[in-house]
Amino acid sequence: MDFFLEQLANWKFYCIGTYPTGPLTGLALNILLAILSISLGFFFGVILGLGRVSCRMYIKYPCSIFIDVVRSTPLLMIIFWAYFVLPVLGMQLSLFWCSVVSLTIYATAYQAEIVRAGFLAVPFGQMDAALSTGMSRFQALIYVILPQAFRMMLPSFVSFFNSMFKNTSTVYIIGVVELTRTGIIISQLKPNRIFASYMVMALGFWVVCYSLSYISEVLEKKLGVIDYEAYKPEICRQDLVLFPLPSMIKNMLVTNKSK
Amino acid sequence: MKLFNLRYEFDWGIPFREPFVGWLITGVELTLLIAVVTAITSLVIGTIVAMLRCSRFKIFNIPAKIYVELVRNIPGLFWLLFFYFVFPEILPFGIGDKLHEYVKYSVVAGILGLTVDNSAYVSDIVRTGLLSVPRGHIEAAVSTGLNRFQQLRHIILPEAFRTILPPLGSRMIHNFKNSSLCMAITAPELTWAIQQVESITFRGLEVTFLATVFYIGLSLIMAAFIIKLEKHLKIDLTSIKEKRTGDGLFS
Repeated sequence: MDFFLEQLANWKFYCIGTYPTGPLTGLALNILLAILSISLGFFFGVILGLGRVSCRMYIKYPCSIFIDVVRSTPLLMIIFWAYFVLPVLGMQLSLFWCSVVSLTIYATAYQAEIVRAGFLAVPFGQMDAALSTGMSRFQALIYVILPQAFRMMLPSFVSFFNSMFKNTSTVYIIGVVELTRTGIIISQLKPNRIFASYMVMALGFWVVCYSLSYISEVLEKKLGVIDYEAYKPEICRQDLVLFPLPSMIKNMLVTNKSK
Repeated sequence: MKLFNLRYEFDWGIPFREPFVGWLITGVELTLLIAVVTAITSLVIGTIVAMLRCSRFKIFNIPAKIYVELVRNIPGLFWLLFFYFVFPEILPFGIGDKLHEYVKYSVVAGILGLTVDNSAYVSDIVRTGLLSVPRGHIEAAVSTGLNRFQQLRHIILPEAFRTILPPLGSRMIHNFKNSSLCMAITAPELTWAIQQVESITFRGLEVTFLATVFYIGLSLIMAAFIIKLEKHLKIDLTSIKEKRTGDGLFS
């Protein structure tokens, strides 16, 4: 127990490392990585998710293929790709940006899936109602469809943030000094304190993740859950198109399977 | 037009050269072994924890809840590292030293860590399945004279597993993907083999490409299998009703 308290007294090193004088490490780096990758992934995820519910095959299939491929690849493989391939392509990235890129790719695919489920949960007729009040299609998407969809997606986003925060510990393998690496460095410096340093590491992850999962539980009770398993991949939304095609071209390119 | 400044010449002979091909094959075998064993163990432990969580008695209820909350909020990588580095230290009577001497302890630690990580998620999924069994079915089972074990065996668990098959399947695919994390504790599975080949030859792209194709292919096959299994196990309620009313007593 004394060992544990002694490690807890060094909480500042576990949280931010030697930040003002040295590089930012520890728990703060985990949170920073999670926030960066989630917010970048959200931007691309909305675009991909909109593409996935599109009825146009030339938009839908590339998006679905990207999402399916990334979702069935381990995160470690994506990190390896970013680590080995980007230098070959002539991009010299630091370890931090390398991990941000790989985590963003991972987050994009999962968030696109959440966004798709949210779009499919918006009732039909909302777009028609918005158009009949004189909005343009883009305005209707921004002011009517997206707010309703986001309301339903919010609990899923918070729980995804939780899992993404846990996944940021994976970048320890390419040598980013975040909380896992910090704990291991301390346990290697003082081998008789190994249990205490691991416990502090676990405590750091647990506190953040537990508060996040509590928030998502509260939100789920308030806003309801989307049933992801109920949506089949071939479903698309004809009414959500931004740039309608002339009907002759549309008949050639668009599938008939709508919800 | 040259889009990228590609400074790399592919040499597809590398994955098939001698020490590397052996590493890759044992890597694939170990990945499959870890994935299958952790799937089975975590399913068993997860089901037991879920049944404890649904219990009325606080002695069973609260420890199970603590277990789930503790494990779900700590990353899987931590559990792997914990079982590899810390677990032998805290065992009494010198068992830990024997474990250190055991050559394949990294694989065992990987299986233990992934089981602990996965069983919490599985138990949450199974719990939603157990709660989704209608109350009337259990009452009907009681009234036909089945005891508690028979109810579980014949009524509750089959119905629960039918409902939770899709999320359970996606969790198992996730577990298969997570088995790549075992490389952090030097278990010689596929990702570890890739990393070794890269660090010896400085040519990681070919093997990384092959491994990615392996992971993607197997996950997609598992997903297709689960969809097929779900369709196979689905009970078509409408057809049963028609049959019953067709030759029933009051038809």
